[in-house]
Amino acid sequence: MIRNLRELWQYRALLWNLTQRELKARYRGSALGFLWTFVNPLLLMAVYGLVFGVIQRNNIPHYTYFVFVGLLPWLWFSSSVGSGASTISDRRDLLTKVRFPAQVLPTTVVATNLVNYLLSLPLMVGLGGLVGIWPDVHALAFPVVLLVQLVFTLGVTFVISALNVRFRDLQHIVANVLTLWFFVTPVLYIPNAVPEPYRRLYLISNPMAVIITSYQGIFYEHRWPHPRALVIVALGSVVLLAIAAQVFERRREEFAELV
Amino acid sequence: MSTSDAIVLTGVSKSFRKSTIRREHTTLKSELVRWLKRQKRPEAPTSIIPALRNVSLSVPRGKTFGLVGRNGSGKSTLLKLVTGIYAPTRGTVEVHGRISALLELGAGFHPDFSGRENIYVNGIILGMSRREIRARLEEIIEFSELGDFIDEPVRTYSSGMYARLAFAVATHVDPEILLIDEILSVGDEHFARKSAAKMEEFRKAGRTILLVTHDLVTLQRRCDQAAWLDAGEVKVSGSPVDVVAAYRAAVAEAELAAMEQHVPRAPVPVQPRSGPPAEPGRRWGSFEAELSGVEIHGRDGPQHVFSADAPFRLLAGYRRYGPVEGPQLELSLRTDGGTLVWSTTERLPESEAATLTLEMPRLGLGDGNYLVDLSLGNANGALYDVHRGLHGFAVRAQDSSGLLAPVHTWSIDPKAD
Repeated sequence: MIRNLRELWQYRALLWNLTQRELKARYRGSALGFLWTFVNPLLLMAVYGLVFGVIQRNNIPHYTYFVFVGLLPWLWFSSSVGSGASTISDRRDLLTKVRFPAQVLPTTVVATNLVNYLLSLPLMVGLGGLVGIWPDVHALAFPVVLLVQLVFTLGVTFVISALNVRFRDLQHIVANVLTLWFFVTPVLYIPNAVPEPYRRLYLISNPMAVIITSYQGIFYEHRWPHPRALVIVALGSVVLLAIAAQVFERRREEFAELV
Repeated sequence: MSTSDAIVLTGVSKSFRKSTIRREHTTLKSELVRWLKRQKRPEAPTSIIPALRNVSLSVPRGKTFGLVGRNGSGKSTLLKLVTGIYAPTRGTVEVHGRISALLELGAGFHPDFSGRENIYVNGIILGMSRREIRARLEEIIEFSELGDFIDEPVRTYSSGMYARLAFAVATHVDPEILLIDEILSVGDEHFARKSAAKMEEFRKAGRTILLVTHDLVTLQRRCDQAAWLDAGEVKVSGSPVDVVAAYRAAVAEAELAAMEQHVPRAPVPVQPRSGPPAEPGRRWGSFEAELSGVEIHGRDGPQHVFSADAPFRLLAGYRRYGPVEGPQLELSLRTDGGTLVWSTTERLPESEAATLTLEMPRLGLGDGNYLVDLSLGNANGALYDVHRGLHGFAVRAQDSSGLLAPVHTWSIDPKAD
């Protein structure tokens, strides 16, 4: 894993350049340009707000803002994993022609979506301001949660992008699993809505649940993330990333031959 | 490990699994089933395709090394092994020095971005740092001769412009070892010359170059050493002149062999009554009629070396042994490299025997070795007696080169001022 990350560091200029390009390319030539970054989550928020805040009325106050707080990091995760799956298998042009560490590719996807997330944070804060919820001292924990999610997302993306080179079915499986995963993660509801006997299992088995509720704690409820749960997820994510780097390393030689 | 060598390959083999080549992807299901049954992955020996077999090569530091070979002989695989894109199945690949590979131009180019933006990404992929690129940006743009187009999206470029930009970036990487896969023939004449000059500059600067090419002239002119790869093995390695000679000979042989497959051949037992015996590729036919006593004469008798201005005469005897219909003789003159210089067909009389003489008052050929092929047959495709590569002569002309030495005069009038 150390070697893997060190190579990433050596190629940080490439990583940065590809990320920049990815961000620019996404909206180049469109009239709204970068504003599209905000349109997608806003639209999703509006739909969920309408369905679960108005039609299927629930008793979570400032529901739309609540959804937005959880939705943004979830989109970071799901877009990274979703488009990260094919990131290596799609880059035949690069992999078979030049030598460079392949882990740059999935990392670029994660980094691009991270930048998207960070850029939409001011929008989230502004939206919170509208309903009178401003970030307070609890925002200090935000970088920690962000880092945990980064490690976790990188781990998942590494494994899937590496395995997808041989098993092309994976990218389709992943797309569907992500949809299911979204609904078992407390973005649209609070974990307390899960029946008591299952709640613990629910939180343990889904790292994203812990991460999302941590964000909601920071920005919505103004409380610190659950320390023990977060530490467990953090450690688990580091282990996952280590294993992912290992899997990646072992598969790497076949990339150029299989893509 | 010798430090005077930039690249050392020791007993390198590389095989591809056939499924890889046919792109039959293992599915998740099959892999799961296999795992559940705890079987080893089935690997029939037939499913392995060797691309390189036990290749040992060393490229000395500061030299230009050329690789030739037919398509599919493993040249590109070898370059990819040196680059590190592939890992060798067996053997070791050592590379001493910063390497830059020009296996394909424009790696990572994004069509929607301007030439300028693409220089950065492409440059970084090829191993330059941002600072290096910034320092050389103007130089690269100037070399590419794109002018104002540099700020237009790459998708609007013509293929020549695209290649020029890519080549400009690639040659400004300034590596210690440069790998090139036949891309020197990029763009128009003018740019090709510029690229060649750039290569020369690399050479002079003491860089190591490993070059894959089909152009034997380039190989002889630019390389210090060369190797010829065939079916994944090094056939000949050494001076470019030797390698090119061996390669040329093999190609000519292969072409001849391919040609022969189309020539209907009489069953081998039929032998001519006179002259050299029937031999596949040299003499064949039904021998219902034969050519005999074929001789090449100069002014005063048999001769084998001519000057361009000398008279030339070919003599042959003709005799038929059965009824033949409309016999004719086709005579072809070709160089020893196989290039056809001249071919002519002459009808022969219906008589039983004849003496044939071809007269050329002045030979008029350029310096080189020539072969006279004779084919006795008829217009319906019958072949009675074919002589190929049996009769030859040489022309020695010091003051000219080329195939032809036409009759000519110079008139040069010095002008008084």
